[in-house]
Amino acid sequence: MALAKQGKCYISYLYFLALLIFFFGRMPVFAMSVLEDLSGFFETSGSYRVVDNDLAKTDWLLGEVRLQLDYTKDTDDFTISLKPEFIFDGTDRELHFNFRESYILLPLDALDIKLGRQIITWGTGDFVFLNDVFPKDWQSFFLGRDDEYLKKPANAIRWTLFFDKFSVDIAWLPFFTPDQFISGERLSYYNPLSGSLSGPLNPEIDPDYPDTEIENGEIAARIFGTLGSWEIAVYGYRGRWGVPSGFDVDKNKPFFPHLEVWGSSMRGPIAGGIFNAEVAWYRSLDDLNGSDPYVPNSEFRWLLGYSHEIAADQSIGVQAYMEHLLDYSQYKKSGGNRDRERLWLTLRYTGLFMQQNLTLSFFGFFAPIEKDLYCRPKISYKYSDNITVTLGANVFFGVESSTFFGQFEENTNIYARIRYFF
Amino acid sequence: MKKLAVFSVLALLTLLYLLPFGLASAMDVNEIVEKANLASYYAGDDGIANAAMKIYDSQGRIREREFKILRKDVEDGGEQYYYVYFFRPGDVRKTVFMVHKHIDRDDDRWLYLPALDLVKRIAATDKRTSFVGSHFFYEDVSGRSPQDDNHELEKETDKYYILKNTPKDADIVEFSYYYVWIDKNTFLPMKAEYYDKGGKLYRRMTVLSVKNIQGFPTVVEAKMEDLNSGGYTILKFLKVQYNKNIPKRIFTERYLRRPPRKYIRR
Repeated sequence: MALAKQGKCYISYLYFLALLIFFFGRMPVFAMSVLEDLSGFFETSGSYRVVDNDLAKTDWLLGEVRLQLDYTKDTDDFTISLKPEFIFDGTDRELHFNFRESYILLPLDALDIKLGRQIITWGTGDFVFLNDVFPKDWQSFFLGRDDEYLKKPANAIRWTLFFDKFSVDIAWLPFFTPDQFISGERLSYYNPLSGSLSGPLNPEIDPDYPDTEIENGEIAARIFGTLGSWEIAVYGYRGRWGVPSGFDVDKNKPFFPHLEVWGSSMRGPIAGGIFNAEVAWYRSLDDLNGSDPYVPNSEFRWLLGYSHEIAADQSIGVQAYMEHLLDYSQYKKSGGNRDRERLWLTLRYTGLFMQQNLTLSFFGFFAPIEKDLYCRPKISYKYSDNITVTLGANVFFGVESSTFFGQFEENTNIYARIRYFF
Repeated sequence: MKKLAVFSVLALLTLLYLLPFGLASAMDVNEIVEKANLASYYAGDDGIANAAMKIYDSQGRIREREFKILRKDVEDGGEQYYYVYFFRPGDVRKTVFMVHKHIDRDDDRWLYLPALDLVKRIAATDKRTSFVGSHFFYEDVSGRSPQDDNHELEKETDKYYILKNTPKDADIVEFSYYYVWIDKNTFLPMKAEYYDKGGKLYRRMTVLSVKNIQGFPTVVEAKMEDLNSGGYTILKFLKVQYNKNIPKRIFTERYLRRPPRKYIRR
C-alpha cells in the first residue's frame, strides 16, 4: 500500500509543480508577494540500525532530504496555510510529495472553522495518548524523524465554539485516517499470528482498509474550560482503532475494528510544578463482551503526570500510564496471552545550556510488567539562528520479543539530522 | 506694594523651585518602587509592541529574535496577561507563549507549538532564567514583583533615585542585591546593576532610549549585559501602542491555537 500511495504522491507532485510554474510564470507580482510570505526548512537526516537484525537487508533505516515550505496568507476574514513537503527518500529512492498542512481557517465571532488537511492534538499526555485519537505516525517516531512527525495530518473539518464558561471542539474526519503503524516495511515487529518477528524481508502488513465513504468517517469532540489555573476537559470519539489490531479470518487480513472513546482530563499547578490526570474508556465496538479473540478488548486507560523545573532551564517530567483490559476472563478464555495491565512509567528530562543553544533531552518509557523499555536520548545544537544539528537514538529493549517495545529491539538506531530554516 | 509683588514672585519662584524637590524627597521608598513598577510594566490598560532582540555572545556572534508582545492589565500593579507571538528565528516561528501573571501565586504559562498543534503547560517556578536565549530574564520582561525585595533609598541625585534592593528570599535568586536608577520625572528605571553573592557586579541593564508614546514615557531600547561572559542583548520595541482595547478573551487557549491576526500583524 505504501508504494501505491507513493505513486499517487508523484503525480500530485507534478501537478503541484505545474501549478507553481503557472502561477510564478504568469504573475510575477503575485509570486513576489508569495515569496515574501514563504518560509520553511531544508533538512537532511539519516538513521542507522545498530543492532543485528537478520530480517533486514540494509542497516539504513532512514536517509532522506526534506524540503518543507510554509506559506500563510492572512486576512481579516480568513487564513490560508499551505505546507507542502518534498522528500527524497534514499531508502526507496523515490521522490515524495505531500501536504503536511493545507487548510483554510474561518474565524467567526464565537466559532472558528478549520477546513482541510491539518494536525489535531488534544489531551494532556506526553507521548502517551488517551483521548488524543488523531492519527499518529509511529514509524517516523521510531525512525528518528523530528518529534513533530509523530502527529500525522488528517483531512478534517474542525469547529471550535466558544461560550462564556466553556468551549466545544468538534473534529470530523470524513474518511477514516489510520496511523502510520509499523507495517514491517522498515521496522521489524512481532507478529502474534505467526508467533515470530516479521520484518523488511517478510511481507509487510497489508490490512483491509475501510472504504473511503462518509459512513467510515471519524468524529471526535471535546468540551473544555478553565477553573482558576486548572484546565478541565471531557472527550468523546467514535471511529476506529488507529492500528489494524483486528483480524478478519474470512479475508485472512488484519482490519481496523470500530472504537468509541469517552474520557476526561485535568491539568494545573501543584507545588510549583504542573500536574495532569486523564482517563479514557475505550469501547471496542466490534467485541463489546471481549469474547472475540481476533478483535481487541475494551480498555480503561489512566494517566497521572507531573513536571517540575529542577534548576534554571532544566526540567523533569514523570508519568504513570496504564492500559487495563476489560473482560479479561473472556479474553483469556478465547486464547489471549497479553497481561491484563500494561503499565508505562515515563521520564522526561530537558536541559538547555549555552544560552539555550544546546538542548539535552531524554525521554524514556519503562514497562515493569512487560519488562521492556524504550529510550530516546537526544542532543541538539543551534549552530546559528538558521541551522540546527541534532543527534539522537531510539533504544528498544525487552526481555521477550512479543512485548510492545521488546518487539522493536532489533530496530535500535542512532540518527542525525541537520536542518536549515529560511 | 511693588516690593510686595516682587517678594511674592520671588517667594513663588522659590516655592516652585523647592516644591517638586521637597515633595519628592519626602517620597517614601515604597511609593517610588510602586510608581516605578507602574511606569515600566503597567502603562495604559493594555499595550502592543513589536520586539526585536539582538543577542551578542562573547565572541561577537549575533542571534536575533523578533516577536509581537501583547499585554493587558487586569488591575494596575496587579494581575496581567501577556501574549508573545514569534516571527523569528525559523525554529520558533508561529510559536506562542502566554502568561497569566499573578501576584499571590505562581504565574500560569503556556506554550503553543504549531507543528504539533500542542498546547503545553510550563512550570513557572524559576523566573530568573533566560527569556528566549537572550540575556534578559522572564522577570525582566514581565516585571519582578516589588514584594519580592526589600528596598532602600541609597542615594538621590537631581535626576535619579538610586535604590538598593535586597531579596527577601536570597536562596531562590542568583543575585545578593541590585541597584536601580529611577528617573525622577518618568519613574522609569534607567539602569540596574546586579551584584552576585561575592559582592561582584556581574549584570547590568541600561536603558538606551525612551520615547513618549500617547503620553506614556516608554523604554524603546534597552541593553542587558552579562559582565562575566561579555555577552549582551539589545532589545528594541517598535510600533508601541497603548489602550487598544484588547479583549480579555485574546489571552485564552482559543488564541493560542489561532493567533489574533488583527493584533499580531508584523
